[in-house]
Amino acid sequence: MSSKIAVQVDDLTVAYNYKPVLWDIDLEIPEGVLMAIVGPNGAGKSTLIKSILGILKPIAGSVSIYGKSYDKQRSLVAYVPQKGSVDWDFPTTALDVVMMGTYGSLGWIKRPGQKEKKAALEALEQVGMLPFKNRQISQLSGGQQQRIFLARALVQDASIYFMDEPFQGVDATTEIAIINILKALRKANKTVIVVHHDLQTVPEYFDWVTFLNVKKIATGPVKDIFNDDNLTKTYGINYKVSIQK
Amino acid sequence: MSSAQLEIQLIASLVAIACAIPGTFLVLRKMAMISDAISHSILPGIVVGFFITQDLNSPLLIVLAALTGVITVVLVEQIQKTGLVKEDTAIGLVFPALFSIGVIMIAKNANDVHLDVDAVLLGELAFAPFDRLLISGVDVGPKSLWIIGIILLITIGLLFAFFKELKLSTFDAGLAASLGFSPVAIHYGLMTVSSVTTVGAFDAVGAILVVALMIAPAASAYLLTTDLKKMLFLSMFFGVFSAISGYWVAHWLDASIAGSITTMLGLLFLVVYLFAPSKGLIAVMYREKQQKIEVSLLTFLLHLKNHTEENERHVNHLREHINWQKIRAKTVVDLALKNNMVTIDNHIVSLTKKGDEFTSQAIDYIITNEDAQIEDMKDDFFLFRG
Repeated sequence: MSSKIAVQVDDLTVAYNYKPVLWDIDLEIPEGVLMAIVGPNGAGKSTLIKSILGILKPIAGSVSIYGKSYDKQRSLVAYVPQKGSVDWDFPTTALDVVMMGTYGSLGWIKRPGQKEKKAALEALEQVGMLPFKNRQISQLSGGQQQRIFLARALVQDASIYFMDEPFQGVDATTEIAIINILKALRKANKTVIVVHHDLQTVPEYFDWVTFLNVKKIATGPVKDIFNDDNLTKTYGINYKVSIQK
Repeated sequence: MSSAQLEIQLIASLVAIACAIPGTFLVLRKMAMISDAISHSILPGIVVGFFITQDLNSPLLIVLAALTGVITVVLVEQIQKTGLVKEDTAIGLVFPALFSIGVIMIAKNANDVHLDVDAVLLGELAFAPFDRLLISGVDVGPKSLWIIGIILLITIGLLFAFFKELKLSTFDAGLAASLGFSPVAIHYGLMTVSSVTTVGAFDAVGAILVVALMIAPAASAYLLTTDLKKMLFLSMFFGVFSAISGYWVAHWLDASIAGSITTMLGLLFLVVYLFAPSKGLIAVMYREKQQKIEVSLLTFLLHLKNHTEENERHVNHLREHINWQKIRAKTVVDLALKNNMVTIDNHIVSLTKKGDEFTSQAIDYIITNEDAQIEDMKDDFFLFRG
């Protein structure tokens, strides 16, 4: 891990209909960490990611990616939305969905060609989904759909990956496959930020963690701050998990 | 076939293609009702445009009406955004209001001109060939043909240029936004095209048929294919098919052309809905029936696997033990025998090696829900196709 800051969030406040869902968030994410964002339902975890990516407009504050605004650094960032956010009955194939990851570098109007197809096939291979490339996406299991989404992010060949609950509704094999890919990304000095629900696996999967509940509770290395004190502050109840350190 | 007949069919076909393109995306975006709203609420735009230009085919009229269409969408979204009512309610509030303004304006001011509510709702395709476009005195064809032709060309051009963007923002607006393709711009682009197409088709086929031509072909195509490009082509084909067959039905029955085309669209959807190979009603019912039998088969095999004692596997006892009716028991045993999963020897049913392996595999799958190990079973059994 280097000392460079990959993502910096300053005084970010986001509101839906004037009700703040994120309040005055300051956050520095160092380059090369594998970070979990944890917090209860409605804590604003997805909102935080969406605001960083410019999908939602904050009412105050700013975000920078390697020191510049997101608009200028788009090509450095890949995004895996929640699996449930799209219609899996959409008439398209696994390969085609992965190809969508290349659209960003193509820009408006230009069509994907052989080069993009090759990159998409490689990404499918990486997540073990190559045999399913021509399958209609509704014919895939939940775990396979999540792998397709991951492949779509990998094809962007970004420096920073944002993932919204990539482990939701996937089988154990897929979970292991995904975490191995995320760890490989970290090894390649990529920064990976994951909205995560399963507190038990945080120490095993991640090296960095952010506790969020409308406000930021704490952020830092898992080994220093993943403790009952922060969990209780975040979840509001006397929260104890058995953590093997 | 006279040239007027040919022209009517040509106009109807071009309208059908022009409607199928935005219609496909409206169906995929679950926005079918918006086309209904647009088709009605552009009426005041048409009336105001007509008062200004005194020409039903003026480009200004098309622009004004299309603008009303976009205003409809904005109003619906604004009402919806308050969170006080849902989208369908917002649509139900906006378009009757705008439509009724148009109706009143016609009734008050335009009684003696070629613009009445009947024509607006049902169109006057039969009269389309009489309104000719003259360029320096030379007859170059019906005006409606030129209008819809130009709109169609623009629509196809936009579809070619922005196919990738349309697909992405329809499938995953979040990713589209994060990659820098403004889903809002694409949304309003699609709404504008839908509005312009509606206005262009309006005069020829009326408000009701425009909706049918946008939604029915796309909905039918959706049931038949899993490829967006094929869905677009199928929608266009279905639209043209209904337009031409509808025209001839009207000709033979001496009935309204617009009404006949819409009827054909309805019939077409009904046929596809019933007979589509994988998503059709009959296919779904067949699949559910097969799945039921397969679950029974699995229950039966599992029973055999769990009981080594002979009295549990005696043909006469099996029926009591599993508590099935005779027919169901027979179907299941026949299926098991056909697949070489069991053998019956002296009234004692035994699992074969294949049956034993199949049962273990299936149980493993049901417990772990891991797909990899049952790939080869998917072809033979509905149960494992998810």
